[in-house]
Amino acid sequence: MITGNALKAVLSAAFLFIASCGFNYETNVESGTRQGILHIGNGDEPRELDPHVVTGRIESDLCLALLEGLVGWHPEGKRLIPAAAKSWEQSEDARTYRFHLREDAKWSNGDPVTAADFVYSWRRALLPALGNNYAYMLYYIRNAERFHQGEITDFSQVGITAPDDLTLVVELENPTPFFLQLLTHMSYYPVHQATVEAFGAADERGTRWTRPGNHVGNGPFKLKEWVLNRSIVVEKNEHYWDAGTVKLNQIVFYPIQNATTEERMFRAGQLHITNNMPVDKIAHYRQERPGALKIFPFFSTYYYLFNTTATPLDQVKVRQALTMSIDRQQIVDKITKAGEIPAFSYTPPDTNGYTATAQVRYDLERARALLAEAGYPDGTGFPGLELMYNTSEGHRRIAIAIQQMWKTNLNIDVTLTNQDWKVYLDKRDGKDYQVARAGWIGDYLDPNTFLDMYTTSSGNNDTGWSHRRYDALIARAGATTDQDRRFALFQDAESILMTELPIMPIYTYVSKSLVSPDVRGWRPNILDIHPFKYISLVPSADELSADDLSADDLSADDLSADDAD
Amino acid sequence: MAEPGANRTPVNAGAMRISTSPRQDAWRRLKKNKAAMFGLAVLAVLAVLSLLAPWITPYSYSAQDLELGPSPPSPEHWLGSDLFGRDLLTRMLYGSRISLAVGFIATAVALFIGVSWGATAGYLGGRVDTIMMRIVDVLYALPFTIFIILLMVVFGSNIILLFLAIGAVEWLTMARIVRGQVLHVKQKDFVEAAVSLGLSRFQIIRKHVIPNIMGTVIVYATLTVPNVILLESFLSFLGLGIQPPQSSWGLLISYGVETMEEYPWLLIFPATVLSVTLFSLNFLGDGLRDALSER
Repeated sequence: MITGNALKAVLSAAFLFIASCGFNYETNVESGTRQGILHIGNGDEPRELDPHVVTGRIESDLCLALLEGLVGWHPEGKRLIPAAAKSWEQSEDARTYRFHLREDAKWSNGDPVTAADFVYSWRRALLPALGNNYAYMLYYIRNAERFHQGEITDFSQVGITAPDDLTLVVELENPTPFFLQLLTHMSYYPVHQATVEAFGAADERGTRWTRPGNHVGNGPFKLKEWVLNRSIVVEKNEHYWDAGTVKLNQIVFYPIQNATTEERMFRAGQLHITNNMPVDKIAHYRQERPGALKIFPFFSTYYYLFNTTATPLDQVKVRQALTMSIDRQQIVDKITKAGEIPAFSYTPPDTNGYTATAQVRYDLERARALLAEAGYPDGTGFPGLELMYNTSEGHRRIAIAIQQMWKTNLNIDVTLTNQDWKVYLDKRDGKDYQVARAGWIGDYLDPNTFLDMYTTSSGNNDTGWSHRRYDALIARAGATTDQDRRFALFQDAESILMTELPIMPIYTYVSKSLVSPDVRGWRPNILDIHPFKYISLVPSADELSADDLSADDLSADDLSADDAD
Repeated sequence: MAEPGANRTPVNAGAMRISTSPRQDAWRRLKKNKAAMFGLAVLAVLAVLSLLAPWITPYSYSAQDLELGPSPPSPEHWLGSDLFGRDLLTRMLYGSRISLAVGFIATAVALFIGVSWGATAGYLGGRVDTIMMRIVDVLYALPFTIFIILLMVVFGSNIILLFLAIGAVEWLTMARIVRGQVLHVKQKDFVEAAVSLGLSRFQIIRKHVIPNIMGTVIVYATLTVPNVILLESFLSFLGLGIQPPQSSWGLLISYGVETMEEYPWLLIFPATVLSVTLFSLNFLGDGLRDALSER
């Protein structure tokens, strides 16, 4: 039996124990800042780390740490800077680029990075059997599309050559004003030939070359540890040519899907930077810790995909009715609540000077009429729809709101299913869905990054939609140098897209994250790209850094497409 | 206090003294137990309320009022409204249908399989016992979530399957407990008496063994119900159980947790009702055990 006194003693001992824990315990952020280890939320478990296989944001951030393209973004996201290439020249007709690689660039195993590595990597990215969804990013290179489609098998006909170890010559199909921006994309990253081929053929997906211990990269960091569903750790690559600039010793990426969990971890000092943040907490942070809250316009559209290969979504009128019957303003005001902009076209407004004139409307009467014309007056006889989203409370809330809007406005029953990220991507790729949530982040500042996704040959067109005139317009825009004429062609293309509606735009994103005041060199920008090599950690009090970090507010106008040093 | 059971009367002594059946006897004792009767009353009220939901509330559980959004309790919405402006009371009433149904049906499934399996293994003993219990061990070793996900993937996600799937997993512990009890009971004199009277094994298990282990089984069953209710929310969250706009207590709580600092009522009310239900079940379970084991 415990007597009164004994009980008191036990309780006070317990209290002391808890209190002492509280005082001595060092949080991840404190110890990380001291040791130069960045703890960052990364949304979900990556599907792969192979730059020529992956498509998602989760993976591209990891690739940004592990690999480096010829050109990179300045940390402010406004201009391009030399990366693996130290300089380059452009020919008079703007169709040929000559890149000069760095003599001191090395892979993480000490091998030199050569022009041949780039030739090998880009060839690999284009190998038909690899099934790279992003292969079309390389189609601007002469004959690359034909090689990828299997029309030619001789790679020497493709416009990529390496006259010597440090020179890479790229010939383009057409003058491409945004070509240098493309080079920052992971599909143009190099891979280490010996490593890739030690674990399988060049065009084999999912081999073990991306595992810790095997992985070799040319980025500022190298892969140290990968524990499924727990964390991925990368550490400083001492062979990196610019290792002097890299301040961080390690980065720990956590696959946290749940924004609420992430916010709690941030508050408990477990994370320096979050991937997302729960909308319900925005008001609180605006008031209490404005320095940590980073909300900025983001070059990205949130939308739904319609699988146009199956009934009832193979009917244009059904897709139009569905698109016209959701109240986007209400969704951004009442559900997402972070200042998102309702999207009535696919490309975000003012994309480097381009704003789509073709817009979808919110028009219930017309929507009901269209549904009736499609053979389902007042939703009678409509087979019902399944709406798929990847597990996240944010997507769930939007899905619930849209489910009810379709029910109330069109009398259509929608069931919701949520899937883990990998399953979700597989189902999208295999067109094993009816309606699916999607988001697209522009890969470079040009309408083309959005619009060329829905051409017939694009690997990222998961809707089954194919339109000859649309393909022709995008191809013509690609062959045009005059910016006004290009934009006019894009306007025509987008008006087809917004009439045919294989996709239903919902809103233009803002990027939302929480950033610890200890983090320096993290600049908000419209592409939401934050090269890790410029990030450093300095212990600081909350108030100091609030001003420091929110100083530079970017707008889309500040960004010019392709000026490089 | 003396140890419970030390003053246990001989089997069927009560029945001999007063000319009532053991069942009536137990009911009489249960009625005297205030806590148990309170628990029973609460459960009955909840069950009736869930059935009468459409007549109690003027709101629909799915209709949204985004303009209203999350609002604290008010005369219009007694328990407030959720993120989509849906009346929380309404969603709790409709949710209780699913939660109570899952709780009781899945527990009943677990009870049925677990008791028959455990009693058979325990009573027959020997090789049969070994084989049956090893089967239980093997199923135990299967990660339960994967097992349910497999079931759902193969058979699709529907509510009846959810009941069965949860029940089909929860019976394992029940079978072990029952077996242990049966091993204990089968050495008792009254079982030997039954054997010498020439009753078949099935009759002995059904008439003599199972009634004597009911006390433990019922207590365990009352603990299974809350487990199952929460399990349903976990599966629903994974996309395997019920799907929006339907609601259940477990789902309401898991959504409430997401926003507990901004809109605490979304967590407090569903959590309170769930806790009250669990208490009621435990009170009732304790009462039942006392009432039944007194024989």
